Amino acid sequence: MRTEHWLHDGEIVEALEKDQNPASASLTLPLCCKASPRDRVSAHLCLLTLLLPPLSSAVPISPAESISQAYSLALYMQKNTSMLLQTYLQYQGSPFSDPGFSAPELQLSSLPPATAFFKTWRTLDDGERLSLAQGAFLALTQHLQLVRDDQSDLNPGSPILLAQLGTARLRAQGLLGNMAAIMTALGLPMPPEEDTLGLVTFGASAFERKCLGYVVTREYGHWTDRAVRDLALLKAKYPA
Amino acid sequence: MPAGRRGPAAQSARRPPPLLPLLLLCVLGAPQAGSGAHTAVISPQDPTLLIGSSLLATCSVHGDPPGATAEGLYWTLNGRRLPPELSRVLNASTLALALANLNGSRQQSGDNLVCHARDGSILAGSCLYVGLPPEKPVNISCWSKNMKDLTCRWTPGAHGETFLHTNYSLKYKLRWYGQDNTCEEYHTVGPHSCHIPKDLALFTPYEIWVEATNRLGSARSDVLTLDILDVVTTDPPPDVHVSRVGGLEDQLSVRWVSPPALKDFLFQAKYQIRYRVEDSVDWKVVDDVSNQTSCRLAGLKPGTVYFVQVRCNPFGIYGSKKAGIWSEWSHPTAASTPRSERSGPGGGACEPRGGEPSSGPVRRELKQFLGWLKKHAYCSNLSFRLYDQWRAWMQKSHKTRNQHRTRGSCPRADGARREVLPDKL
Repeated sequence: MRTEHWLHDGEIVEALEKDQNPASASLTLPLCCKASPRDRVSAHLCLLTLLLPPLSSAVPISPAESISQAYSLALYMQKNTSMLLQTYLQYQGSPFSDPGFSAPELQLSSLPPATAFFKTWRTLDDGERLSLAQGAFLALTQHLQLVRDDQSDLNPGSPILLAQLGTARLRAQGLLGNMAAIMTALGLPMPPEEDTLGLVTFGASAFERKCLGYVVTREYGHWTDRAVRDLALLKAKYPA
Repeated sequence: MPAGRRGPAAQSARRPPPLLPLLLLCVLGAPQAGSGAHTAVISPQDPTLLIGSSLLATCSVHGDPPGATAEGLYWTLNGRRLPPELSRVLNASTLALALANLNGSRQQSGDNLVCHARDGSILAGSCLYVGLPPEKPVNISCWSKNMKDLTCRWTPGAHGETFLHTNYSLKYKLRWYGQDNTCEEYHTVGPHSCHIPKDLALFTPYEIWVEATNRLGSARSDVLTLDILDVVTTDPPPDVHVSRVGGLEDQLSVRWVSPPALKDFLFQAKYQIRYRVEDSVDWKVVDDVSNQTSCRLAGLKPGTVYFVQVRCNPFGIYGSKKAGIWSEWSHPTAASTPRSERSGPGGGACEPRGGEPSSGPVRRELKQFLGWLKKHAYCSNLSFRLYDQWRAWMQKSHKTRNQHRTRGSCPRADGARREVLPDKL
C-alpha cells in the first residue's frame, strides 16, 4: 500500500492509501498536485493545472483511473457527512440541536437539489451527469466558505466546527478536481466556473445564517450520496 | 415539544419537493414564490437584551395564496413551545409574543425564537442575545522571558458568566509617550492570556490594561504599570549534575550552569534547590543560594536515591530593585548517597566547600548528641544505653517525618513529654 498526499490550496487534504500499481504510478496528471509529504505546491499552481487541459502530460489518463479515484474520494467523504451535519446542528442550539431535527421545508435556491426522479437520473448522459454534479459541488464549496465565515462570527469559540467546515470545503474542491479529470479523460468540455452565490444580501440575520448553514451541510451530505451513485454508474460503464 | 418536526398527519399533506426551487426561507436575495407555502418575518431580528428584561415580538405571515392567516401559528424558544397565553393575534396575518424576565442566553450563537406554521414547519426565526455587560477584568500579571517578550494573564470580572460572547483585548503603551498597542497572540498560557513577542523597550515603564467587550457594553481593567526589567524570568539552569562527595554517605554535591540566555547579566542571580527522597512527595527546599553555581547537600540518608531540581531568579537584573520571577524548576536529576548503616539528621543548608575528613559525620553526630543532652540536662544517667536509644530514635524519626514522638526520652519533672525536632539541634 502506498500513501499519497493530495494537496488543495496548498494544504494536505487526505492521505489515501493506494494499491501499488505500476499503471497508476505513471499517472502524472495532477488532479490536484500530488506531493511528497515534504514539499508543498502553491495554490495557484494547483488551480491552473485543474483548469488547463493536460496537453503537457505525456501519458493519457484512462477514464477508468480518474473515475476510480473520484469514487474513492466520494466514498471517503460520505463517511463524514453526517458527522458534519450533527456537529453543525449541535452548535446552533435548540431546536437545531434537538435529536432527530429535520426541516425539509428549508431550502436554498442557490443550491441545486440532489434528489431526482430515478428514471431521469438513470438516463442522463455522461456529460450532463458530471456537469450537474460539478455545478452542485462548485456551489457547495462557495456556500461552505460562507457558512464557515458566518459560524466564526456566530460561534467564535468553536474550532472543531470551523475545522470540519474547512475540511468539508477542501474535500468538495478535491472532488471537483477529480471530476474535471474525468471530463478531460472522456473528452468532454469543462463547464464554466460560476459565482453560484449570486448577489449576497449582507444583511442576513443570525437565524437566517443558522438556517443557511443547516441547509448547506444537509445538502452536502445529499450530494455526496448522489456523487457516490453517479460515480458507481460511471465506474460500471468504463471498466478498467 | 421539539419543533421543526412534523406530525404524521401533516406529513401526508405535504407535497414532495419538486425539482424546481421551492419557496425558500433562508435565501440570499429575494424569496421566490412557490406553491402552497408561506414566508414570514419576525421582528425584531437579533435583539440584544439585558437579563431580566422583556421582549415584544411579532411574526407576520405573507405569501401565496394571499390571505395567509396568523391562525394556527405558534412560537418556540430554544425548541420549547411557549404557552399560548403569551401569544396574541394582532391582526389577520400577525401573531405577537410577550416575553418577560428573560434568562441569560443558552448558547453564544443566541437563543432561537421560532415562529412555526400549524404543521410545525419553520416559518421564521430570530436569535435573542440575553446577557450582562462585561465586568472589569482583574489580577493582571505579566512576566518577560529573558527580557525579550512579555506574557500577561488576567482574570475576567467577578461574576464571570455574561452569557454573551465577550472579547478580551490586552493593550499596552509606554507610560509617557506614544500610542496604544494591542496584543495579538492570545490564549498562550490559558484562556485569558496574551503574548507580546517583540518591540518592547527596557528601562522605561509600560502601562498595561485589558478591555472586555460584548454586545451589551465594555469594561476596562485597572492599569498596571511595570518596567520589563522588573518582571524578568529565565530558563531553568541547564546541566544540573548531582554527584557523591567521596565516600561521605550523607552528602551530595549539586552543580549547575547559569542559564545561558542571561549569563552576562546574572551576577546577582538567586538560586533555589529542592530535593526529595525517591518515593516521597515532600520536597526540602534550600534557599539563599545566591550567585553560586554549586551547593553541597548535607544531612542526607545514606544509601538513598534523591531527586534534585534547581531554579533561578534573575534578581536585580540591570539594577532593578525588584525580585525577578523564579524560573521553572530544572528537570529532576537523580543521585544516590553511598550505603551505610548509620543515618544522619536532616539538614537544609549548603555545606562549605573543602572536603571534611571522613570522621566529620561522627563528630557532628556527637555534637548533636551533646546538644540534645543539653535540653535534657536533668537526666543524670548518661550511659551507652541512652546513646543507643537516641540513635534508634533518630533513625525512626527520619522515616516518619511528621511524627515527633520521643522514645525513651527523659521524663520531665512535671511528667509531660516533650517533643524534640532534630532540625533545631
